[in-house]
This record gives sequence, structure tokens and C-alpha cells, in this order.
Amino acid sequence: MSAPVSRRPDPVSRLGAGGLGGVRAGVELWLVLIGTIAGIVRMFRRGAARPKGAIVEQMWVIGNRSLLFVAVTLGFIGMVMIYQACLQFSRAIGDLSQVGTQFIRLIVSDFGPTLTAMMLATRVGAGIAAEIGSMKVTEQVDALRMSGVLPIDYLLVPRFLASVVMTVALAIVGAAIMYAAGGLTAYLSFGVNPRIFYDLQMVEGKHLILGLLKAVSYGAAIPVVSGFCGLRARGSSEGVGWATTAAVVGSSFAVIALDFALSVGALWLLGGDL
Amino acid sequence: MSGAGYIEFREVFKAFDGKPVLRGMTLSVGRGEIMFIIGTSGVGKSVTIKHLVGFLKVDAGEIWFDGRRVDQLDEKGFYPVRRRIGMVFQNATLFDSMTLLENVALPLRKHKRLRPSAALGQAMGLLERVHMGAFADRFPSELSDGMRKRAAIARTLTMDPEVVLFDEPTTGLDPVNARRIDGLIQELSRSMGVTAVVVSHDLTSIFTIADRVAFLYQGRVHAVGTPAELQASPDPVVQQFITGQSHGPMETPGF
Amino acid sequence: MLGERSITSLGARAVAVSRELGGITILFAQVLRALVPPRLDGRELVRNLYKMGNRSVPIVALTAFFAGGLMVVQSAPFVKRLDATSLAGWAAGYAVLREIGPILIALMFSGRVGANNTAELGTMTVTEQLDGLRALAIDPIRYLIVPRVLAMLIMLVCLTVIGDLVALIGAAVVAKAVLGIEWGIMYASFTENLKPHDFLHGVYKSMAFGTAIAVTSCYFGVTVRGGAVGVGRAVNAAVVAAAVSIMLLDFFLTYVNA
Repeated sequence: MSAPVSRRPDPVSRLGAGGLGGVRAGVELWLVLIGTIAGIVRMFRRGAARPKGAIVEQMWVIGNRSLLFVAVTLGFIGMVMIYQACLQFSRAIGDLSQVGTQFIRLIVSDFGPTLTAMMLATRVGAGIAAEIGSMKVTEQVDALRMSGVLPIDYLLVPRFLASVVMTVALAIVGAAIMYAAGGLTAYLSFGVNPRIFYDLQMVEGKHLILGLLKAVSYGAAIPVVSGFCGLRARGSSEGVGWATTAAVVGSSFAVIALDFALSVGALWLLGGDL
Repeated sequence: MSGAGYIEFREVFKAFDGKPVLRGMTLSVGRGEIMFIIGTSGVGKSVTIKHLVGFLKVDAGEIWFDGRRVDQLDEKGFYPVRRRIGMVFQNATLFDSMTLLENVALPLRKHKRLRPSAALGQAMGLLERVHMGAFADRFPSELSDGMRKRAAIARTLTMDPEVVLFDEPTTGLDPVNARRIDGLIQELSRSMGVTAVVVSHDLTSIFTIADRVAFLYQGRVHAVGTPAELQASPDPVVQQFITGQSHGPMETPGF
Repeated sequence: MLGERSITSLGARAVAVSRELGGITILFAQVLRALVPPRLDGRELVRNLYKMGNRSVPIVALTAFFAGGLMVVQSAPFVKRLDATSLAGWAAGYAVLREIGPILIALMFSGRVGANNTAELGTMTVTEQLDGLRALAIDPIRYLIVPRVLAMLIMLVCLTVIGDLVALIGAAVVAKAVLGIEWGIMYASFTENLKPHDFLHGVYKSMAFGTAIAVTSCYFGVTVRGGAVGVGRAVNAAVVAAAVSIMLLDFFLTYVNA
């Protein structure tokens, strides 16, 4: 399983090699994204090579497999977050009236999409990597190429589109559940009046746009990263295992990095008033 | 060799998922002999020896070793037995994250509480006994099947076992390496007095080194005796196997 | 009938889940028993500590940095509205120390180290190396599993502590770069408003997460069936199980140890 270790190179070489490897991987990842988008464009223009019903099938796979998981986890997280927030607010400010309004703002612009995507990165990302990875190691990907079909068109494009749509959909569902669960917790544990909690006055169009943008980005990133890892799988089913792991970690990290980038970008664009 | 044997199987029954494999298997193995258990694939040869080290539990029947019953022991109870009965697996099953030397040294460190340097020294000695000393620093994945088998044998010998079980030691090996393994088994028996129970369907091995042969068929020991006795047997089923015929009275499930 | 079929499959899944839960509990009990008295393979422990730590520090550090920065960005408008920039550190800090830090780091750890461990143990099981240990009268629990469980637990706690620190640094960096809040203000905000209990709350969680990740990871590794394909499936199951346990444990611990 582990390769024979004869003599490890010095730390500097390893760092350099690691850095170069990272850059190369980054470039390849970017190419996969470009390739996928090109594939989408190709699909809309040609229409003939479109895998019939594949998009809907993928949407079903993603949505069906993850709905319960997302709903339950986001519900729990919502409860925990409100509990912690109320605790801290009463400690520092003593007034809990703002908790609900701030919470929904954060849910819409950040937590809803991000947490949903983190959960999806685990379920969906692993699934995509495993599927594509197995196809790669059993040479089905090469077989596709021989019959003149670009693997990206056939494999990645349907999953890409399905993921974008379903991530947005599930983010909305997840956000709603988080909100509901949070309000319940605030009421039960801290006696916060639901009418005060469920107040949407702080939510503005820019929050919705940001949240939507994030959901779309995550929905795009997860299949691209996972598909990339799947296509890189080598060897046997063991290689598929590695690909799956890399996909989960890579997708999760991509979500966080994108969240950071988009949030900072939005903050900067809006002059600090988010 | 009559009377209570060193290793005894008495009317052992074992089934998997309702399918019976051993149906009243009775066998007696004497101390110091090389006993081959032969038969077609799937007849239950490996199943038989796995009972001896406690990897499987009998459904019915008794298994005796050196005058004591062992079939009722639990996992912990089998540890003392496993120090006296070693097993060489079909796939050698060396630990692939360690070198050969470390592989062989592991049981020495664990059971004889040797310091690492002493353990490695003894391990080297054992590796040289099986003519693998030159490869002590290699990893199992770098070596051929025959070499891994020999290293696995060395590792089993670290416990000074009285009995060594071999699960198809020559299956998948080229003729030269197969004969080398045969020679090793014989050497162990002659010079160290080890009792060897060998599961095999390698006819050349049988006729080269076996003291006695037990022919497993339909879940029972159909015939037992020296290789010469089996060769002279009038039983058509035995004859079919010994002469390696594909047609004959033998019922082979799955064909 | 559709309804009937889904109920049956739901029931079947519930049975499967409870079987896994039972198995995991048994393994946990075996690990605990092997720790009293603590006789385990020291070399294996050290080897695993090194391997697991090595593998995770970069990604944990990066994740933590971003997470800290994110919390500042989220709390920024609120803090600005109240014109209390000195509270910015507190706002980001408590979220990171109590929730975001432990959970995110645990998830990343599970994905990197947990999955890897399952794959290793799974492959060893499939190639009968585990049986090989038993045949040599070496207890796989003592020799193989306990060192890994301990190593994962220790590593996750260390990584959480390191990650917390990096996240706070990240928060300060982003606060300076994006919001123009000075280092001094952030530092004061941290030290004045964050209590040791906030930090410990997160550490206790990471201990629980670490144990959960370690035991589930090992469990799915040693119960692999069906060759190399089974290994892949086990890895998947282990990661999902760890994620669910983290969420559930977080939920309970938040209330129990507020």
C-alpha cells in the first residue's frame, strides 16, 4: 500500500515540489472548469450529443440523496448557533431583540448556502468522484474517448448543471429550516418572542444576490473539483478511494475559500456595508 | 499410526450460509509428520486448518491438540495455541508497511519481549535460514510471490512453533520456486521436528515430500494413507484426482 | 405500492444503521478496555502521530485562516452599526473558538486523516493482514487500532488549538486589510472579551469529535467486505458517519457545557 521509502529528499526540495505540484493541479482544475463551461456551450449549440435526461437524473440523485441529510444537519446547526449567539448576546449586550434579524441576514447571505454546500461536498462530492473515478480506472473513460465523445461533455456537464440547480434549491430549503429551528431554540431556551425573532426587515436585495451567487459558485465548484479528482484516479479501486477522499476535502476547502473570496469581495464592493 | 494423534479432528461439521462444507470430517495427525490435505477447490481444505487456529468455529464435532480440546476456546483462549501452531497464509500476508526484517522481528518484539536490536538480529538469522537474508531491507511489494512466501515462513518460525499449517504454499508459484518451498517444508520437519499440515492440490509436492495424504471429498476424509498407498488405491474417485483427469466419477460442484 | 416500498426501505436502513452503531459501540468498548491498563505499542503510536499530523497541518491552517477572516466579514456590518469596532474581535472570536473552529477542523480532519485511515485498515483487512496478526497471537486492537485512535484524538485536539490560533490571526489580518481595524484593537478585543472557558468549550468538543472520528474510521476499516470495492464504500461510509457524529455531538455538547 505505501510505496517503499528509500531516501526522502530534503525539506526544501519537498516544499518546492509540493508548491509546483499545487500550481500544476490548480492549472488543471481551471482547465476542467473551462472545459465544462465549453461543454455546456457546445451542448446548447449542438443539442445532438446531449445525453438525454441525464441532467434530470443527476438532479434526482443529488437532491434525493442529500435532502434529509441537509435538512437535519442544518436544523441542528441552526439551533446550536442561535443558542451560542443568545448566550453571548445576553452576556455582552443584554438585549436579544436583534438576534433574529441578524440571523436571517447571515443565513441568506452566507450560512444557508455555505453550510448546505459543505454538507453536499461530503455526500455529492464523494459520489461524483467515486463514480467518475471507477469509470476512469475501468477504462470506461478511455472507451468514451474512442467513440468520439468528450468525457467532460458526457460525464461532467450533466452533473455540473444538476449540481448548480440543486445546490441553490437545497440552500433555500436548508436556510428555511435553519431559520425555523433557530427561532424555536430562541423561544424555548431564552424566551424570545417569535414575532420579534422572525423579522425580515434587515434582509435586502444585496443579501439575496450574494447568497444566490455563493450557492451557484458552490454548486459549480463541487462537481468540478470532484470530477477533477475522479478523472485523476489511478490504479485500482484503491485509487478510487483516494480520489474520493481528495474530492471531499478539496470540495469543502473550495467552498470555504469561495465563501471567503465572495464575502470579502462583496464587503469591498459595498464599501463595508453588508 | 493408531491411537490418539497429536492433532485430531473428530466428526467435524461446518456449514456456511446453510451450505455444508465439512460433513463429519475425521483425521488424525501424528507428531513430526508431514500431512497433506488434498482435494479439489472449495472442498473445505482451508476451512479445515482454519479451525486449528481458531479462525472458524465448528458447528459440531471436536478438535483436539496435544491431548486437549481446542474447539471450544474463545479468541483469547486461542492465543497460547497460536504460539504453538503457526500458519502461513496463501497470500503470505506480510505487513506491507514494513521491511522483511521488521516483519519477522515483530512477533519477536511482541512475544519474546526482545529489545529492537536483539529482535532484528534474530530475525536476520531466521531470514537467512530461509535463504532470504539478502532481501531483509526490502518491502514485500517489491518481491515475488515465492520470496514473500519464504519470508512469511520465517516470520512464522519466530515463535518456535511445534506445528506449522501451510495454506496452498505452492499454488501460483513457478515450478522452481515451488520445489524450493517443498524443500523448506521438508527441512523444517526433518531438522526441527516441526509437524507440518499442508493444504494443497499440487501433485508434485504430494509425491515429493508428503508422509501421509488425506483426500478430502464431499466433506469427509475419503481416503488417507501414504502417497504410494493412494496411488495404488482402487477407488475411482481417488484415481481421478491422483492422475489429474477432468472426467470421471468425481462430482465437482459448479461444473 | 410506493408507500409500502419506501417504508420497508426506511426500516431496512434503520436496521442497518443500528447494526453499525452497535458495532461501533463494541469497538469503542474494546478500545477502552485495552487502555486499562495502558499497554499499547508505543512505536505505532508515534508513527501514526507523525503521519497524521504531517498530513493535515497545511489544510487545517489554511481553512482556519479563511474561517477566521470570514467571521470578521460577517460580523463587520453589525459591529459597524453599533460603532463598536472593539467588539469585532469578540464577535469573530467566540464563533471561531466555540463552533466554527472545532467543527470545520474536525470535518477537514475526518476527510483527510479519517478517510485515509479507513482505507489503510480496509486494505489490510482485505489482504488478510489483520488475520495474519491474529495468527501470530498479536491482538489487532492493542497493536493496530488503539494507537491509531489515540493518535487521531491527540492530533485533532492539537490541530484545533493550532487552528484556533490561526483563525484568530486570520480574523485580525482581515480586520486590518478589509475593515481597517488596527491590530491593537483586535488584540485587546480578543483578550478582554474571550474567556478561557470559550476556548475550553471548543477543546472539549474537539476531544469528542476526535474520538468519534477515530472510532468510526477504524470500525469501517476493519469491517470491510468485498475486496477493493468494499474499501471504497467503507471510506465513503466512514466520512459520512463522522460528519453526522460531529453534528450530533456538537448539538449535545453545546447544551451540556455552555
